Amino acid sequence: MAVKAVVPEAHAATGPTPPPAIPGYDWTQHRWGFGVDATKCIGCLRCVEACKRENDVAADAHHFRTWVERYVYLEGEDKPRIDSHHDPVNIEASGSEGEYRFANRYKDAKVEKAFFVPKLCNHCTHPACVQVCPTGATYKTEDGVVLIDHNYCIGCQYCVQACPYGARFFNERKQVTDKCTWCYHRITKGLQPACVEVCPVGARIFGDLKDKQSPISQFIRNNRTYVLRPESGNAPNVYYVGIDKDVV
Amino acid sequence: MPKHISRLIILLVTFGAAAYAAKVFFTADSFYAYGHYRGKSVAEIASDKPKYKGSEYCQSCHAERYAEWSKGVHHSVEIGKVVQCEVCHQAAGGRDAGGMFQHVATGIDHPASGKLPVPTDSLKLCPLCHEKMPGRPAEQRQIVIATHAGTQQCTACHNPHSPRMIVVAGAAAGQAETGAMGKAAICAGCHGGEGVSVNPVWPNLAGQHSAYLVDALKAYRTGARQSAMMSATAAGLSDADIQSLSDHYAAMKLKVAASAAGSASAAAGKAKADTCATCHGAEGVSGNPAWPSLAGQQKDYLVGALKAYQEGVRKNEIMAGMAKGLSDADIDALATYYSSATVH
Ligand code: HEC
Ligand code: HEC
Ligand code: HEC
Ligand code: HEC
Ligand code: HEC
Ligand code: HEC
Repeated sequence: MAVKAVVPEAHAATGPTPPPAIPGYDWTQHRWGFGVDATKCIGCLRCVEACKRENDVAADAHHFRTWVERYVYLEGEDKPRIDSHHDPVNIEASGSEGEYRFANRYKDAKVEKAFFVPKLCNHCTHPACVQVCPTGATYKTEDGVVLIDHNYCIGCQYCVQACPYGARFFNERKQVTDKCTWCYHRITKGLQPACVEVCPVGARIFGDLKDKQSPISQFIRNNRTYVLRPESGNAPNVYYVGIDKDVV
Repeated sequence: MPKHISRLIILLVTFGAAAYAAKVFFTADSFYAYGHYRGKSVAEIASDKPKYKGSEYCQSCHAERYAEWSKGVHHSVEIGKVVQCEVCHQAAGGRDAGGMFQHVATGIDHPASGKLPVPTDSLKLCPLCHEKMPGRPAEQRQIVIATHAGTQQCTACHNPHSPRMIVVAGAAAGQAETGAMGKAAICAGCHGGEGVSVNPVWPNLAGQHSAYLVDALKAYRTGARQSAMMSATAAGLSDADIQSLSDHYAAMKLKVAASAAGSASAAAGKAKADTCATCHGAEGVSGNPAWPSLAGQQKDYLVGALKAYQEGVRKNEIMAGMAKGLSDADIDALATYYSSATVH
């Protein structure tokens, strides 16, 4: 009991805590949001590559913070065929696990409908991953980003299990869990996340929900957007356009 | 108080004190600053150094490339489609040694860290975005590689920094002026302003016989002669255009440096050229205006033309017969000789 009581006291003694010491940035002024326009995505996978380089993610097929899924409906089939850059056929087409490319495997097939869907961490408003963390290593920031403190992560991977979107993975080299930060080190410097920066067709949209003129506010205002698995109660913050019911 | 009770109390108090001391000792200062986490970690993560610097970063040093790119179709800001420099050349920002998750503010940038890679295999790079594939939205320009490029590098014909062909841009926008000079400006993108082509696989036109040029352009227009580059262009030309353009180029003087003139290969070519001389002239200037002069023509183009006759890709009965017996070495020698032969 005594232990618990002491902490808020210490907190109160220092008055309202100043925002984190990030030069030129006040997190109370922002709330970030992300949009995906699947009708524009061409499946070039430059986002996957840029994310890996920007964030030092292992250059292999099975560790990634963002990925792109291809949904292909063939004539006479009622379930889509789904693949991503880590499918063996796609690895073979790219030539190595460290390069990312969709093989043109359906070029001679009778395709009824096909599209690409970029995916990443949804930076949920009620993140299940944060709830289950036993050490306070993962948390939701004031400006709406779910981060991981790699100094406090013990690598138990409860959060990997808890995430309904499969957005987290285990980083064997550092023995910690890992995921998308919306490039927190870039957005706090006024830059776009790396995946948004390199997207050649504007399929990824990022911005400040508090600014009504930001690209993301306009995107949400001007489109009928969806979120993935709304029933999970996590209240995700990545808004999608151009997907259908099979995308979860 | 019974002794055993007071012992128990002492034990509990000691344990509580030890637990509290441990808690204070082990909890980081900033824990609970904003919530159930280490407050300082936010600024630590934010201090990481960006690696993608953006295309503006390149402008100051690579002004020429930047200017080319920013005017080209890979920089279509108005429709929100931009292929950034670093997509093709990789990130210019600091590379941190030691692998993943170096949340550090160090790492040196290009150019101090070395050159950025120049993509050498455009057949691998460009199809990432342009290969025709189910699932790609129709607005994205896509090509079937086998029929559009074959095994040729995309960069043989397209400038990666400004890939749309001048001719296509002009024709699409309906800007092509009607006069021969207006059209010649379009041709100049490939055949050069002086009729000397900018790429050795494309032919020079300056000084060529007008009648031959007319035949060639009409052959492209009807499809009798096929070329990815010329068919679309020639389709838009009227008979009058063709005549005036041909006269325009025929009247030019071909100015090329006779570089390989004295080489052994050129000498070997000269020896082989006797059979050709009947039609293409002793010095490579043909006597019949319907037959092409070869003197001073681009060597790579000549090689390509002779191989095209051999393979039947370019159809002409006379030349198919002439080219059939030539070995690769013969072709190389003949092409070296004719490309170096001085004109007039
Ligand atoms: C501060 C000046 C500077 C900036 C900014 C800069 N570069 Fe360079 N770049 C250089 C120099 C110097 C070289 C080496 C030239 C050489 O040795 O031939 C070079 C070389 C290169 C090369 C290799 C060229 C070759 O011939 O091998 C590429 C590609 C390149 N830069 C791309 C970029 C891109 C893309 C950017 C922007 C993200 C950029 N550079 C920004 C100065 C700069
Ligand atoms: C679509 C891919 C693509 C983009 C975008 C692109 N480049 Fe390049 N760049 C290439 C290729 C391919 C080459 C090799 C050219 C060749 O083979 O003719 C090249 C060559 C270069 C070179 C070396 C030139 C030489 O002569 O060796 C420099 C420098 C360069 N690019 C800078 C830039 C800069 C700066 C930008 C952005 C303003 C940029 N590139 C954008 C594909 C690209
Ligand atoms: C990262 C994706 C990407 C890469 C890599 C890329 N392009 Fe593009 N390219 C685009 C986009 C986006 C456009 C703009 C399309 C539009 O106008 O809708 C474009 C436009 C073009 C066009 C103009 C088409 C037209 O409208 O006439 C050509 C030609 C072209 N690219 C050729 C190339 C070549 C050659 C390469 C390799 C050196 C290359 N591209 C590499 C994305 C890419
Ligand atoms: C032999 C020369 C040549 C080569 C090699 C070549 N192209 Fe082209 N390409 C052209 C010409 C000429 C056009 C414009 C004529 C037309 O509209 O068909 C064109 C048009 C395009 C377009 C626009 C098509 C459209 O529908 O608007 C794209 C995209 C393109 N090329 C990409 C590539 C890529 C990628 C490669 C390499 C795999 C490549 N090209 C290789 C000559 C070439
Ligand atoms: C995109 C580049 C390009 C443009 C623009 C272009 N050409 Fe060509 N041209 C070529 C190529 C490549 C060939 C060789 C094709 C082949 O092998 O058949 C050629 C061949 C020719 C030939 C046949 C030459 C010979 O020796 O057989 C003539 C004539 C010609 N072009 C005239 C023109 C005229 C006139 C224009 C402008 C209206 C023009 N070209 C625009 C690329 C171009
Ligand atoms: C009987 C006459 C004749 C003889 C002999 C002849 N040619 Fe030709 N050559 C032609 C004609 C006619 C054309 C134009 C064909 C066409 O329109 O495709 C031509 C075209 C060519 C071309 C293409 C030129 C261009 O600008 O596209 C080359 C290269 C060529 N000849 C090389 C040779 C060589 C090398 C020899 C000797 C081994 C030779 N020719 C012997 C009649 C001849």
